Amino acid sequence: MITLLKGGRLYDPAHGKEGVQQDIYIRDGRIIDKPNAAEKIDQTYDLAGKVVMAGAIDMHSHIGGGKVNIARMLLPEFRNELRTYTEPEAHICTPHCKHHATPTTTEIGFKYIEMGYTAAFEPAMMPINARQTHLEMADVPLIDKGGYAMLGNDDYFLRMLTAKQDQKAINDYVAWILHATQAIGIKVVNPGGISAFKFNQRKLDLDENNAHYQVSARDILKALSRAVHELGVAKPLHVHCNNLGVPGNFETTLNTMGASDGMPMHLTHIQFHSYGTEGDKKFSSAAAQIAEALNKHKHITADVGQILFGQTVTASGDTMQQYLNSKLAHPKKSVLMDIECDAGCGVVPFKYKDQNYVNALQWAIGLEIFLSVEDPWRIFLTTDHPNGAPFTCYPHLIRLLMDKTFRNEMFDKLNLDAQAMSNLKSLEREYTLYEIATMTRAGAAKLIGLNDRGHLGVGAAADITVYTDQPDREAMFSKPDFVFKDGELVVKDGKVIKVTWGATHTAKPAFDSGVEHGLRDYFEKYQTIQLDNFKISEEELNNQVVVHQGKARAD
Amino acid sequence: MPNNTNTLNATCPACGLLCDDIRIEGATAHNACAKGIAFFTQTIANPQPLVSGKPATLEEAVKRAAEILKQSQRPVIAGLSTDIHGMRALTPLAAKLKADLQHINQASLQRNMQAMQSAGWFTTTLSEVKNRADVIVCIGTDIVTHNPRFFERFVWVKDAMFTDPSARKIVYLGGEKLDKTPGREGAWALPSRPALEGSSRGAADLPNILAALNALLLNKPLKADTVAGIAMADLQKLAETLKQAKYAVLTWAAKDLDFPHASLAVQQITNIVGTLNQTTRAAGLPLGGSDGDYSINNVHAWQTGKVLSDMQNAKPDAQIWVNSYNADAPPSLSEVPTIVLGNTNTPNMSWFSHADVFIPVATPGLDCSGTMMRVDSSISLPLKQVRESGLPTLAEVVRKLEALLA
Repeated sequence: MITLLKGGRLYDPAHGKEGVQQDIYIRDGRIIDKPNAAEKIDQTYDLAGKVVMAGAIDMHSHIGGGKVNIARMLLPEFRNELRTYTEPEAHICTPHCKHHATPTTTEIGFKYIEMGYTAAFEPAMMPINARQTHLEMADVPLIDKGGYAMLGNDDYFLRMLTAKQDQKAINDYVAWILHATQAIGIKVVNPGGISAFKFNQRKLDLDENNAHYQVSARDILKALSRAVHELGVAKPLHVHCNNLGVPGNFETTLNTMGASDGMPMHLTHIQFHSYGTEGDKKFSSAAAQIAEALNKHKHITADVGQILFGQTVTASGDTMQQYLNSKLAHPKKSVLMDIECDAGCGVVPFKYKDQNYVNALQWAIGLEIFLSVEDPWRIFLTTDHPNGAPFTCYPHLIRLLMDKTFRNEMFDKLNLDAQAMSNLKSLEREYTLYEIATMTRAGAAKLIGLNDRGHLGVGAAADITVYTDQPDREAMFSKPDFVFKDGELVVKDGKVIKVTWGATHTAKPAFDSGVEHGLRDYFEKYQTIQLDNFKISEEELNNQVVVHQGKARAD
Repeated sequence: MPNNTNTLNATCPACGLLCDDIRIEGATAHNACAKGIAFFTQTIANPQPLVSGKPATLEEAVKRAAEILKQSQRPVIAGLSTDIHGMRALTPLAAKLKADLQHINQASLQRNMQAMQSAGWFTTTLSEVKNRADVIVCIGTDIVTHNPRFFERFVWVKDAMFTDPSARKIVYLGGEKLDKTPGREGAWALPSRPALEGSSRGAADLPNILAALNALLLNKPLKADTVAGIAMADLQKLAETLKQAKYAVLTWAAKDLDFPHASLAVQQITNIVGTLNQTTRAAGLPLGGSDGDYSINNVHAWQTGKVLSDMQNAKPDAQIWVNSYNADAPPSLSEVPTIVLGNTNTPNMSWFSHADVFIPVATPGLDCSGTMMRVDSSISLPLKQVRESGLPTLAEVVRKLEALLA
């Protein structure tokens, strides 16, 4: 059966196509060449004048696992509020913003696909919690998914570093973790800091040692970024820097960019790591310095972690920083955990207010970064769902990027002191549809290594979103005309019409299975489950599994 | 009784610890505690579906169940003693029937959830306890009544990464009739005044005791000489011990906090942990757990956005009683039409035969594989099939039922 999408305007940055009118043919879930005249076209969609993009890919969104579920448990009021929600908080969000900070697994799949997103990646999958994460993601319909396994605060790895084990041993361990947890990437959160907090250390900078292990955050970043690179994993090491949220942390972030000896790294929710200490309130924007450094360091990518105003909940593996943030919780309660000699978590509800100096400036800092980073292939559109805002706010965020007048109107309503500390209005840039497609499709697919997604070339999976071109970009991106997932029409006029189940994407680089000798001994002595039960089989995922085989890279 | 002589490794779902070092060899469950042995050696007493107490085929039983549910306006799915996959099958059924969901441990689950939802908490997990804890305070509980291998597996271990396991301090605070032997000779007991006959005052004093302890930790002097029978000097000594600890763990079992407003005791524990964390490190550890309660609550949260809570329907007019583990527990309601999807090993068949429909289902971890979440919530483990019973899984029965309700 062949489906024809006729006459749409393609925004396909992977092939350099910007608004090119072109037909797309689909068979068996894939985009195919134009069939010969003898073959029957079973179905035709007339897309004349419509904007056609690949399905969007969220490369960083907390869609599964312990802390997301703790947030649901902690905040019954979020579910009660939904029915009677009268905000737009203040005046900055529009009715399209749903403030859906703790969606169910079903809602996650529906809300994403209804915005034209066809994949989302859980960026903080704790290895010991990976089974639960996958169980939750298996209950997320429609979209593809995957997870980045968290390392760098686990005692096994820190012991390896202290014992000065060689890079090959570390590579084998990292590869083993990818297999055991069915992950597609590796993340490190506050390198060394989550562990340090368990030893009552309250702060850790890039070149400061974890007092127990006598290794620094820099040591951890070096070892892990090299391992990921040498194993041939496409997704660069995903880094949540030290000192999240701390005024003055931009220096840590700048130094972190240089900490990997040139190995690729992705700095996540960089907005939360771009703060200076200038001004009366000792809190200022360092977006310009961060953007300048990002423009210069080609081996570094970043996503923004934009905040938007309203009630949300922050869920992070960074116990050290979330413990500090818990003083600012709204409502006033939080859940923190030390977890299993593996990592930790902190779930802190939070309300961002446009009349609050710090929050207003955070909003501006995120946008300043978006607008000042030149290469849309190296900067990604995220709100660090739900930490900066629920992912359902993406259409609003896209409008802020594409519509200077709208953005400036919003800016004029912010806390006045914050306005005085931001250069946002001097930034004239408006993102184009092509740049949005780069950031949310082609770039994200390339970053994660999804070779057959994020583009509209022959052979690609037919994950395709069709929009009506409208001047109100928020309205446009809130409600696609059509979304095709693996060739099937699943959304029409912004509503799901068919429920399908996406695949789980994983990376499985080769490694020396001898790595299990040391692990088995460690598990028997110190852990509280059997090594064999730590490992998750593909069968357990209850889901189609796609393996992205990397090719080892010699340095 | 396992009917083969091969050795296989199993995970024990008999309590919240999910010990996964069980080795089944013939009829023997090595490493298992008494609860585990009882679980692994249970028999298949009644593999036959019953309709109104009379033998029936599975199809007949499912058909009758569907008839009952079609008649019902306000059904409840209760018991919920199953694993993650069982619950994943039940949620859509509950949505279709607009049925309330009630776990057999609803009351104790809610004590913890209410405390967490009002004040949050800071907790830890079993491997952190094993490697880090230097002081463990058992609050109103001996733990071992619920989790028999707690001390063996996580406290008196040979190796720990960050502390000397043999030097750990064990403190029993409050509670009554506790089995303190697993805490060993050095354990320190601060019993509260004895309960009156037939009341549970021993535990009910805990909010006062814990509030006093927190005040002492905050250096707020208290005028009284005793609190609920505990000398203030002893509490002061406990406060000092906690302040000196590198990683104190305060543990409780919600089932043992069976008194009005017991969630206040859990909140007080949260407060103490909060006070300690200002200067040193400490964490809470809710223990206990059975019948998959933590698993069920988690699945419910991710599928519906909320924890299991009290019944919405005032008077259910039919019930499905799901009971894969706790064969002794009869259905919670006796007055309404009842469908039992359960364990076959009940010692007391009388309530089975009173049920309108009884359908035996496979027990995850015994008759079929499964997945369950450990009591410390972050860790889920695979359950293995260890015997051939031929029983249908809960999910299979629910699917048959749903097909007839469509």
